[in-house]
Amino acid sequence: MIPAIRQYMQSTFNAVEHSPRLVVWIGIMCAMIFVAGYALLASLLTSMEILEFSVKIPWATMIATYIFLVAIGSGLCIINALGSVFGMQRYEMLTKRMAFLSLTTIIFGMLCIVMHLGHPERMPIYNAISPNFRSAISWMGLLYSIYMGVVVIELWLLNREDLAGRAQSSAGWVKKILELLTLEKLRGTRFGAVLEDPRLPRLIALLAFVSGASALSMLGSVFAHMESRLLWYGPYYPVYFLVSAIFSGFAFLLAVTIITYRVKNDEIFPGLKAVIFEMAQALAVVLAVGFLLMIFRLAAGLLDPASRAPSMLLLNGPFRVGFWGFEVGLMTVIPIFILVWAAEAKSLNGVLTGSIMVLIGTFVMRYEFVVAGQVYPNIPQGLPSYWPMIMEVFLIGGVIAAFLLVYTLGDLFLSLKEEKSHHVT
Amino acid sequence: MSVEKPPTKMNRRRFLKLMAGAPVSAILGSAGVAAAETQRYGMLADSIRCIGCKRCMSACKRWNNLRVERDELATDRETHLSANNWKIINLRADTKNRVKRHYVQWSCQHCIEPACVGVCPVTAIKKLSHGPVVINEKKCIGCRYCFQACPWKVPQFDFDKRVTRKCHLCYNRTLLNYQKPACVAACPVGALAFDYKHQIIQEAHRRVERLKGPSYIMGLTEAGGTDLITILPAAPKDLGLIAAPKKVINHNLDKIRVTASGILASSVIAGVMYFYAQLTKNKDKDFDDPSN
Repeated sequence: MIPAIRQYMQSTFNAVEHSPRLVVWIGIMCAMIFVAGYALLASLLTSMEILEFSVKIPWATMIATYIFLVAIGSGLCIINALGSVFGMQRYEMLTKRMAFLSLTTIIFGMLCIVMHLGHPERMPIYNAISPNFRSAISWMGLLYSIYMGVVVIELWLLNREDLAGRAQSSAGWVKKILELLTLEKLRGTRFGAVLEDPRLPRLIALLAFVSGASALSMLGSVFAHMESRLLWYGPYYPVYFLVSAIFSGFAFLLAVTIITYRVKNDEIFPGLKAVIFEMAQALAVVLAVGFLLMIFRLAAGLLDPASRAPSMLLLNGPFRVGFWGFEVGLMTVIPIFILVWAAEAKSLNGVLTGSIMVLIGTFVMRYEFVVAGQVYPNIPQGLPSYWPMIMEVFLIGGVIAAFLLVYTLGDLFLSLKEEKSHHVT
Repeated sequence: MSVEKPPTKMNRRRFLKLMAGAPVSAILGSAGVAAAETQRYGMLADSIRCIGCKRCMSACKRWNNLRVERDELATDRETHLSANNWKIINLRADTKNRVKRHYVQWSCQHCIEPACVGVCPVTAIKKLSHGPVVINEKKCIGCRYCFQACPWKVPQFDFDKRVTRKCHLCYNRTLLNYQKPACVAACPVGALAFDYKHQIIQEAHRRVERLKGPSYIMGLTEAGGTDLITILPAAPKDLGLIAAPKKVINHNLDKIRVTASGILASSVIAGVMYFYAQLTKNKDKDFDDPSN
C-alpha cells in the first residue's frame, strides 16, 4: 500500500515540484490559514468579542463575506444552467469549472457563518430536530444543504469517467479507492445503467438550478423579512440578490478562468475565447439590469418617508464613498463600458480588468448593505466607526486563502480544464 | 388593583383556580375581556412614578447571576442593554419639553406575537402561554437573527457564553414559585407591577387618568401589543426611544409575500435564460467546427 501511495503522491506532486511559483503561492495561502487559525483559537480561548467590531452591529464583515461568496456560488449555479439545463452547448465546456467553483465558494461561505455563530455545533442538531419553518435562515440552511448535495453528485458525474480512467492506469490501493469512488462494480447493473443515462446529468443540473436559485432568493429573504430594518425590508432584495449573484458569478468565472490560464501559461483556444467575450457582454447586460434595480430601490426608498433616512445613509451619509465610488462606479458604470469595449476589441485584459472591478465593487456593496442596514432604528444618532477588527480580517483572509488553496489543488487534481468540444449532456 | 398594595397575592390555589376557570370564561366571554389576557401575565412599568434608584436592575442581576459592571448601578448613569443588563433605567427628557426629565425603564417588551420567535431558526425562543418570551440558552446557536428582527433591538449577544440573552420576566419565579419578578419585588415605590394582563391594562389607564398631565401608554398596540405596558411622559420617539410600528412585526403573510417575489424573479430569470439559449442556438454550431 505504502509504495502505491508514495507513487501516486509522487506523480501528483510533480506539478508542485516543477513550479516554484506554485510552491510560493501554496506557502502564502498556508500562512494566511495559519494566521486565521490563530485568530479563531484566540477567540475560543478568550472571548468572541475580539472578532466583533460592534455590539450594535452584530452582522458585519463575516456576514458580508458569506453573502459575497455564497452569492457567487449560487450565481455560478444559475450560469451553469445555461449550458447544462437550457442546452447552450458552448457553455458546457465550462461546466466542470463552474460546478467546482460553485461548490467551493458555497462551502467556504458557509465556513464564514460557522465562525460567526456562537455555537455552530448546535446548528445541524437543532436545525434537524426543531427547525422553524417560519424562519428564512432555517429554509436557507435546508435549501443550501440540498444544493450542496446535488452539486456533489453533479461533480461526481462529471468527473466519473476521468477518475475511472485514472483507476485503470493505477495499481494497488489507489486503484481500489478510485474504483470505489467511481462505483465501478455497478457498471453493467440496472442501477449502473441509470448512472450512465445521458439524461441524468441534465436532471441533476436542473435540480441544482432549482435548489440554488431558491436558496439564493431565500438568502435575500433572510434580510428582506426584517421589517424593523428599513433598508433591508421589502420584496426588493430577493430579486436583487438573484441579479447581483448572476453578475458576481459571471465576473468571478471570467476572472478565475483567465487568471488560471495565464498563471499556467496555457493558451486560451479560440472557442473558449469566444465564450469569454460572449459572457463579458452578458455580464455588461446583467450589470445594467442591476443598476436599474438599484435606481428603483433608491427611488422607492426616497419616496417612502419611513425609509428615506436609511436610503440617505448611502446617498449622502457615512456610506456615500462606498456607494458612489464602489457600488455605482467600480461595480457598475465603469465595468459596463470596459466590458462592452473589451468584447468588441477582443481584449482579454479588458475582460479581466472589468471582472476584477465588478468583484471588488460587489464586495464593498455587500459590506455596505449589511452594515448600513443595521444603523436604523437603534443607532440613528451616532454610527460607530465601521472598520472591521484585525482578528476579523485575519479570519476572512484565512477563509479566502483556504478557498484559493482548494481551488488550486482542485485545478491540479481534477481535470477542470476546458475542452474544445465538451458536450456533457 | 392598586400597585402600592400589591393586589393579587398569587398563591398556588388562586393560580390553579384561575387556570381552571379560564377556558370557561373564554367560552362565555367574561365582561368583554379577551380570554387570553385573563390567563396571561403582564408587567407595568410606570416611568412617571420611577425614582431611578436602580434597585430593579440590581435585583435582576442578583436573581439571574448577571455580571455587574463598575458604576453601572449608580443613579443617573446612562446604561445600555447588554447580555448582562436585561433591564435598564435611564434619565430621558422630552424633546418638546426639556425641563421635565423622567426615569424610563427599558427591557424586553414580551410581545404578544414576538418577531424573535418567528425568526429563530432553531426555535430556541418561545412565547410561554402565560406571557414571557424566553430564550433557551442551551439551544441558542448565537446567530443574532432575533436581534435583527426585534423592533426594539432587545436580545443581546453574550460574547463569553456565545448565546443571545434577554429578560425572561423571571418565568422561573413566576411560573414555578408563584412569585413576582425580581425587579417588581424590589421596586420601593410601586413603579413596577405584575398581574394578569387585563388588570395591568386597567391599572395603566387608571394611573394615566389620575395624572392629568401628558402621558403615553406604550405596549397596547406597538408591535401588535406587548405584555410589558410602560407609562411614559411622552411618546417614545420624543424621548429618544425606538418607536415600534403599531402592528404585528414580521407577520407570516408578509414573509410569504416577500419570499414570493424571489420565487417569481427566479421564474422570470429561468424564462429569460431559456429564450437566450433558444435565440443563440445557432452559435453552438460554430463551436463544433473543428477549425476552432
